Parts: sequence; C-alpha cells; structure tokens
Amino acid sequence: MGGNNEINMKSFWYADWSFPLLVALLSSGVFAGTHMYYVYKIGAFNDVAIVAMLEVGLQGGGYGVAAAFGASFLFARILEGSLVGILDIGGAIQTGIGIGIPALLLASGITAPLENFTLSLLTGAVLGLAIGYTVIVIRKFTVGQSNSTFGADVMMGAGNASGRFLGPLIIISAASASIPIGVGAIVGAAIFYAGKKPIVGGAIIGAMLLGAFFPISLD
Amino acid sequence: MELLVIIIKSIIIGGFVGFGVGAGAARMFHAPSSQGMGAFRTLGELNACAGDAASHFSFGLGFFFNAWASSVGAGAFTQDVDHRIIPNWAAALLMRKGKRPEDTLHNPKKMAITGAIIGILVVSFLNSTASAIPESLQAIALKVLVPAANLLINPVMPVIFWLAALDSGKRSGIWGTIFGGAAHLVMGNAVPGVVLGILIGKGVDDGGWNKITKTLLVSVILLFVLSGFFRGFDIAFLQGFNLEAPEWLIDLHKLIGYEVK
Repeated sequence: MGGNNEINMKSFWYADWSFPLLVALLSSGVFAGTHMYYVYKIGAFNDVAIVAMLEVGLQGGGYGVAAAFGASFLFARILEGSLVGILDIGGAIQTGIGIGIPALLLASGITAPLENFTLSLLTGAVLGLAIGYTVIVIRKFTVGQSNSTFGADVMMGAGNASGRFLGPLIIISAASASIPIGVGAIVGAAIFYAGKKPIVGGAIIGAMLLGAFFPISLD
Repeated sequence: MELLVIIIKSIIIGGFVGFGVGAGAARMFHAPSSQGMGAFRTLGELNACAGDAASHFSFGLGFFFNAWASSVGAGAFTQDVDHRIIPNWAAALLMRKGKRPEDTLHNPKKMAITGAIIGILVVSFLNSTASAIPESLQAIALKVLVPAANLLINPVMPVIFWLAALDSGKRSGIWGTIFGGAAHLVMGNAVPGVVLGILIGKGVDDGGWNKITKTLLVSVILLFVLSGFFRGFDIAFLQGFNLEAPEWLIDLHKLIGYEVK
C-alpha cells in the first residue's frame, strides 16, 4: 500500500470502479439476512420496528407499507449518497434492499429469491451492483465534472465536531437512567480522561459495571 | 442439523456484510474523492473514539447487547450491527497495539478484512444463541446508549452542521437553512438537508451557476418532492394549512399502497 501520504486513489481499495462490487457484497449479505428471517425468523439486518412492517406482510396484512417505505428510502439515499460521497447503509441497503425490495417481490408473488439461500445471495448482489453503478454514474455527471469540493471540508469538520458530543451525552443519559449507573459513568469517564483516553469508553464501561450490580428495569 | 445450516449461512452472510461495511467505513474518511458507504453518524462516532481501541470496543459492546436482545426477542439484528458494531470492533482489533487511525481505521483493505472476520463472528453468534442475555445489561444499552445516540442524531448533529453551514459563507448559510428546515419537516432530520445546502452553496461559490450546480439543485428539489410524496408529506402539508387534498392526489397515493386518512 506504500506510505500513508501517497495513497493511490486509482487502486481497487479507493477507486470508483470497485465501489459497486463492495455494495454488491454488502447487499448480498443483507438480502440473505432477510432470507434467514423468512425461513428461520432470525437474522434480519434491521430494527424491530422496520422488520415488523415486513412481518405484517408475511402474516397476510399486505406489503404496501414495507414496499413504499423501503423504496422511498432507497431512492432518496442513492441520490444523497452520490452527492455527498457517503452512501447511507441504513436507508439504502438495510431498509431499501433488506425490507423494501423483498416486500415488492413478495407482493408480486415472487418467493424464490427469499426461499433459496443461493438465489438470495445472487439477487442481493445484482441489486447491489445496480445501486453501486447508479451512485457512481450520478457522481460522474455532478461532482466529478467540477473542480469544486462542494464543501466536503466543511462537512467533515462538522462530522468530527459532532463526535465529540457523544461522551458528555452518554454521561447525561446514564445519570438520568439511575444514580448508580450515573456514578459509574462519571467515575469511568474521569478515569479515562485522566489517562488521556476519550471519555466515551470509560463512561460506557462504568455505567455497565455498576448497572450489573444495581440493575434497572426495562420499562 | 438446522443449527449447522444456520451457522454455515451466517458465516457467508457475515463475511460478505463485514467486508463491505469495513471497506465502506474506511473509504468514508477519504470522501468525497473516494465514494464511501456508512453514515455521517458512524463517521462522527468513529471519530469520537479518537483512535482509542478500548473506546471503540466498549462503544460497540454496548450496542452488541442491544442487538443480541433484539435478535433473541424478535429476530431483528437492529441496524447497529452494520452501523456501529462491525466498524467499531474492526477498528478496535486493528488498533490494539496503539497503532494510528491513519494506518488502520482509514485503510479500506485492512478494515475490509478485519470487518469480514468480525462480521462472521457477530452474525454467527447472534443467529445461533437462543439463550437470553442478562436483562440488566440489555436495560443499560436501551436506557443509556440509545437516548444518548438519539440526542446526537437530533438535535446535536443538525445544529453543528447548521452552524458550520452558516459559518462557511452566505450561500451555504441560506441554502443550508432552507433545505435543512425542509429536511426536518419531510424526513424528520435536518442533517441531509443541511449537507445538500452546503453542497450547493459551496459548489456555486467555487464554480458559479454552471450546468453541474444547476443539475444539483434540480436533483435536490426532486429528491425532496419524491421523498415527501412517498412519506405522504404532501397530504399532511395541505391538511396542516387546513386545505382539502384533491381527489386525484389521494388516488395517486393509493396506487403505491399509501392509505390517506
């Protein structure tokens, strides 16, 4: 790979042409995850609330909601992803490919890609390739034709700045959860800070440690 | 026998997903010159751990308990397997000997391979363990990490991106404000809108109103119109102003399966 200062942007790991292949691999796995859910009721790559939309369809309640929700997410994220340089996995792949497209297929009575493991991997890969190429093509016709960075430095700066908020936020929400958990988070964060480490890790470990001894209920 | 089949399938799925997530996460650090894949919040969280292996590991661990509980309870991994657990644990594994993020987390090749290993382990584990996790740990994940992450996503990140847009020039400020506000109305979060506003504002600052920036503006407006339509925002908008939604619009929504109340 050479030194860190001379990254070859044309090599496989950084180039545009390899992007569809990476999306294809991820989509293949996520679509197969939905196959696992379809067959074994385990392993869907999404939040309970969104998987529940697909479950409504599987129970005979119609696939309309899951299909519309997934497809709109997929569309919006493809356009956004190509413009800002980061394709959102949650919206485009996990919800779009993992929930929206299976719902569309099932609504049209096509069950084979979800029943058969190999077929599910293939379907996901083909869909992923298509999405990856679409992103790259939109990119070529917009961002790629210009010398402007379109404010990417501004967005990166903001992304970095927002990460710093997480540590204090975790302590605040630990302190709101219960007194022992709050104390654990505070002490953990202080120890990590004294050791010149980011306070996020200390806050979580402290909260979990005391939470194991002084449990809180889920409701 | 069925368990063996599940584990074999999980290994394949976890490897594929982990490879893609790992490479995509590392490429985010080189965006926009390299097309990345992940999420802005993942990027922020990875930066929050500041290249410290213990922080990356414990952040992933918190969400792992939540994902575990959700898998055991409802068969749903949560989105955090891809967004948080795989990228953070892959980073933790790569940085365990105090290596710099520039040589590890930002390297798509190393992150792809490590991500695949983590993916295989996590997916196989989640799919094969039927026993429940200690409830106290699950409660902490839900009561501590989830609210903190939700606060980060809204309102902390929108505000920071918004202020960055306002500080980076008049055009970014105006477009960021318009699209950021619209994004919160339509999508429930202002970040995508502010980002697109900065994109347009800075694009026009650097190159003027040329073919590209005009196409950009049109596609962004199209994005808002279409995602507004698919979420039924058009109807809610009319109703919010005490107006009747026309019959043809309601019929159009019925066509795609959205029931207008």
